[in-house]
Amino acid sequence: MDFVIGMLPESVRNLPTHMDFDGQRRAERIFQIIIVLFAAVGFVWGYICQQFSQTMYILGAGFVLSCLLTLPPWPIYRRKPLPWQKARPSVDEKEGSTSQAAAAPAGKGKKKK
Amino acid sequence: MNTFLSRANTIFAFTLSVMAALTFGCFLTTAFNDHLAPVTMNTAKLIVKNVPDYSASREKNDLGFITFDLQADLNSIFNWNVKLLFVYLTAEYQTKSNEVNQVVLWDKIIKRGENAVLDYRSMNTKYYFWDDGNGLKGNKNVTLSLSWNVIPNAGTLPKIKGDGRHVFAFPEEYQSSKF
Repeated sequence: MDFVIGMLPESVRNLPTHMDFDGQRRAERIFQIIIVLFAAVGFVWGYICQQFSQTMYILGAGFVLSCLLTLPPWPIYRRKPLPWQKARPSVDEKEGSTSQAAAAPAGKGKKKK
Repeated sequence: MNTFLSRANTIFAFTLSVMAALTFGCFLTTAFNDHLAPVTMNTAKLIVKNVPDYSASREKNDLGFITFDLQADLNSIFNWNVKLLFVYLTAEYQTKSNEVNQVVLWDKIIKRGENAVLDYRSMNTKYYFWDDGNGLKGNKNVTLSLSWNVIPNAGTLPKIKGDGRHVFAFPEEYQSSKF
């Protein structure tokens, strides 16, 4: 897979493909709302025309729509990127490896907040 | 939710759960139907013969021949949770050797959307009316009734006895068998 990606042109490789945490939460909320809404409408419509297959088709439509809206990492799911700390100046690299190891956990803790 | 595949998996699983809930809801909307319908029946030609059933043994058993009229409108039973009805006509009677004898004489599958109004006159039975002895000759109390199994999309498989029956008697004499 990495080999294939490496063959792609630079412009394609630089396309952002991730969702931030808030975007993931929004994506999950969006597909839940869409599918439940389509299911409710489909149930009522299927009951009115007394065809359970209609209910299933409408639910299928909701499934396809929610796939289109939440499967690709659309830009709308990238609006709240995490405020990462700035990269440390390269002076750190010259220092001993022990100090780097000690600094790393502390840095991670800060990122999570 | 952080990769394409994990989102696809979550959406698919969620849709399946919703689908199961919908199916259960469909079952609930029809769970309390009684699936009943009125049936009227009559019999015409009644003959009983005493012939050997070679598929079972060489002994002679009673074999009844009847023709029947049948009127029933089963349209009211169909709804969005009924795929088809399996309708069958049974004769029930009592003999010395058995307290309860039940013989299926005729059946029919009615799918949803097909004509569900049964209106037959002088129909022949579809299956042989064999007794396992000599219980048919002169039997005064043979009850015809129409029953059906309801085959749903989801839920129970009710076995319903139609509202209406017909009692008839077989003649006292065998008709000579011409086989």
